[in-house]
Amino acid sequence: MDALPEKEQAPNVDAGPLATSIDLGLPLPTAESERNHARPIKVIRPPTFSISTIFDGVRTLAQYSDLLYTLSLFRLNVRYKQSILGWTWAALQPLALMGIYTVIFTRITSISTRGTPYPIFVFSALLPWIFFSSSISSAVNGLILHPSLLTKMYFPREIIPLSYLAAGFADFCIASLILGGLMVHYKVSLSWNLLYAIPIIAILGGFAAAVALFFSAVQVRFRDVGLAMPLLLQVWMFTIPVVYSLESVPLRFRRLYLLDPIAGLIEDFRSVVIHGAVPGAASLVFPGVITFVSFTLAYAFFKSSEATMADII
Amino acid sequence: MIDLQFDRVCKKYNLPRAANSPKRWYARAFAKGSAEMWALRDVSFQVREGEALGIVGHNGAGKTTILKILSSITAPTLGEVTVRGRLAALVEVSSGFHPELTGRENVYLHGAMLGMRRSEIRRQMDSIIEFSGVDKYVDVPVKRYSSGMYVRLGFSIAAHLDPDILLLDEVLAVGDAAFQAKCLERIAQLRKNGRTIVFISHDLAAVYRLCDRALLLDQGRVLMDGPARRIIDEYQEMSFGGEGATSSDESGCDTPAVCTSVSFSSPHPPDAVRTGYPMLARVGYRAAKTLANVVFRVSIYWPSGYLCTQLSNDSAVGGLLLEPGIGIIEFECPVLPIVPGLYRIDLAIEVSGQEINTLQRCATLRVEPGRVVSGDFYIENTWKIVTNPSLLAVESSRG
Repeated sequence: MDALPEKEQAPNVDAGPLATSIDLGLPLPTAESERNHARPIKVIRPPTFSISTIFDGVRTLAQYSDLLYTLSLFRLNVRYKQSILGWTWAALQPLALMGIYTVIFTRITSISTRGTPYPIFVFSALLPWIFFSSSISSAVNGLILHPSLLTKMYFPREIIPLSYLAAGFADFCIASLILGGLMVHYKVSLSWNLLYAIPIIAILGGFAAAVALFFSAVQVRFRDVGLAMPLLLQVWMFTIPVVYSLESVPLRFRRLYLLDPIAGLIEDFRSVVIHGAVPGAASLVFPGVITFVSFTLAYAFFKSSEATMADII
Repeated sequence: MIDLQFDRVCKKYNLPRAANSPKRWYARAFAKGSAEMWALRDVSFQVREGEALGIVGHNGAGKTTILKILSSITAPTLGEVTVRGRLAALVEVSSGFHPELTGRENVYLHGAMLGMRRSEIRRQMDSIIEFSGVDKYVDVPVKRYSSGMYVRLGFSIAAHLDPDILLLDEVLAVGDAAFQAKCLERIAQLRKNGRTIVFISHDLAAVYRLCDRALLLDQGRVLMDGPARRIIDEYQEMSFGGEGATSSDESGCDTPAVCTSVSFSSPHPPDAVRTGYPMLARVGYRAAKTLANVVFRVSIYWPSGYLCTQLSNDSAVGGLLLEPGIGIIEFECPVLPIVPGLYRIDLAIEVSGQEINTLQRCATLRVEPGRVVSGDFYIENTWKIVTNPSLLAVESSRG
């Protein structure tokens, strides 16, 4: 009888102080009944090609605008990570090309620039052209470089090509500093007309977006696009006034020549930068309209093929 | 309110025929179209607000396709899906990571992909890092991370989302036990607070724990839609229930002893084997000669393939002495502790530690609900209220 109370007063098993439930360090989710927010209603249907999908597309894109920003930022960040020269690369490419073309077209053969020093003549056209072409060539490959993103997560797919475009624009801005330096060196007189460069670059960027959206959607299905792109862009460069001036194009071909909106835009950019010239209204409106129409069609096409990209990539 | 609605949804995949053939477009243009594969056929179902729906089925039954359509990764071929509310999918949570970026940068990137605003991410950054437990490495490129750290960081971002609808696809199959417990706790919190959940898993126990309702898919069709318990049973029955008891002939006639049958019954209540009630297991055998030191084993396997428990006459003093001829060994369990479900049975006979006859997956055991059990097994217990003053004093002095 003595042993029993003793045993009860000193229990063998002591679980210690009672632990509370797992602390996640997270705020508890609010109860559904207390959440007072309008729930978006989304209807998912088989994909169709129609212009009206653009409005939905733009609305969703606006919701994901932070992703576009973040991705563009990291695109730049990643590109120059683990490289010694880093951001200088953005300026090196147009500079190197400028050097080569200057040697070719002033020492080996010569080309009429109406007295403009050739380096700034060619650099002022290379700058927008490289923005256009390198944005497109990287954007077109963007989707197929991220197959796991496409098959595992949802976000508006156009953000991937557009982020390459944004990164291309950042490179353009860096290289513009070199252009500024050249302008000072060659004593180009500055004028407010330089601001015309802004709409020119905006239209150029819009057209690049249209081309990039269209071809990256096609590229998911047919890899031929990625293979053909470098060739296409190389040929394209020589069909627009980069290394030569628009004036060297015979007058009877001029109209046909200017059907390519890029040709007019590049020439305008150069004359704005070097001569402070005001671009003619028609030379902005025509590429502007082409850009608007092609962007609309390309975006609608992209949106209609977006829904099956994950299946065929 | 209905949160999710599938209305006669079909999904067709075009499988390229002979993908590696050297034929190019000029040859392909004349070839017949590619092979078609219908991943979903006429699938309709609804999920109410606050409901947790599990989707079970074999590989290729269409589970993942449903999830992909819900999260807009792919679109249906026919039919219509309506989603009411902000939806977040936890499908391979770390797939959006960029290897060159640091952990912190990836949190921004991945959070934005899940639809979070930068300001929202900035506000929650510390909490995300803490939850993931990778705080020491958060400014290191994630290509240097172990796969566990990858997944923990990925899930941690997702855990900070507060969606209306949560899609889960085998996410819990990764991370260590402590992290899994945290994940489950978070999911339970969301569930308790009325979020709608769609859960796809091969882990039937997890489906049972998390979901009140389930869909059974087979070859792209909804075979059954009902309470999770019933659907899981049905699925197990479909998977291996039909096999029944088969004797193995691999041993031949020179085997000294074979198991010939197995049956499970219950003396009380007599209709079925129930959790918390007695059970009798009987194994029939045939012995060709006198055998000493014989051990019978009845292994009971979980649906997942893990050993749940085993009945055996193994003991320190050695096994049975078996006379030639046929007989039955009977195992009597006063209280059956295992939870309701369909189990698979292995039978084995050992002589002096040497297995001489094994029958794998030769039968099933269906345990019906009996005494109330939550968790993994039933503990036989009695209870009373203790009002001994001296004991209470001890309790309160402990603080």
